[in-house]
Amino acid sequence: MLDLVLQAIAEPRRRAILLLLRSTERSSGEIATHFEVTRPAISQHLQVLAAAGLVTVRRKGTQRLYRARPEGFTELRSFLEGFWDEHLQILKQEAEAEERRVRANDLT
Amino acid sequence: MTSPDHAVVEREIHIAARPEIVFSFLTDPEKMVRWLGIRATLNAQPGGVCHIHINERDMVGGEYLEVVPYSRVVFTWGWEGSPLPLGSTTVEITLKPEAGGTRLYLRHLGIPVEQREFQAAGWDHTLARLVIVAEGGNPGPDLWATAPMG
Repeated sequence: MLDLVLQAIAEPRRRAILLLLRSTERSSGEIATHFEVTRPAISQHLQVLAAAGLVTVRRKGTQRLYRARPEGFTELRSFLEGFWDEHLQILKQEAEAEERRVRANDLT
Repeated sequence: MTSPDHAVVEREIHIAARPEIVFSFLTDPEKMVRWLGIRATLNAQPGGVCHIHINERDMVGGEYLEVVPYSRVVFTWGWEGSPLPLGSTTVEITLKPEAGGTRLYLRHLGIPVEQREFQAAGWDHTLARLVIVAEGGNPGPDLWATAPMG
């Protein structure tokens, strides 16, 4: 999750969008008027932000309204679970390889 | 151990290697980087540094709190420049010999789960700190001025 968050905010335009949505709910069309880029490009940025949990979206009639979600930054626990699972697997492989090396040396 | 704003991550794993060998992967910098990070500065004694460069730009770790040969290593842990700064949480690793090797228990304590402290720090501050991490630690003071606002 933290990786997604970091990727999401690595793009300057996405950071600018987050600032726009910090205290105000806005539609993607309204967001697009603040930038010199196409609406599809803005929609893509919003998708990345939503995937990282940094914005929420709700439908109102035909509109989709976006708002920043600061708690998206704090979902560290699931990130850490994945982090340790991944690294403990590598530790297991490396320590087991070391054990085999030490044993082979003991035999010679 | 769990308070309303802190969580614990607990993991355990069987390793087919003796505890002495697993222990060396927690205290010897050359072995540490075989499973965690690319460079490490370790002084495996209470109060000694435990700094691990997890990649070219980010450093994690803190300091060792407890080092009991072949059975227990406790160190503080965080990401430099993140909402979880260096030394802000604690990782306890316990090794127990078992048939065919070692059982490793990992407990990562003190993980903030609610927004209290982040709200206190403020949204802008949190965002700015994460941006520092995202950009390799050198965003400059006028970061927001470069955003293409219309």
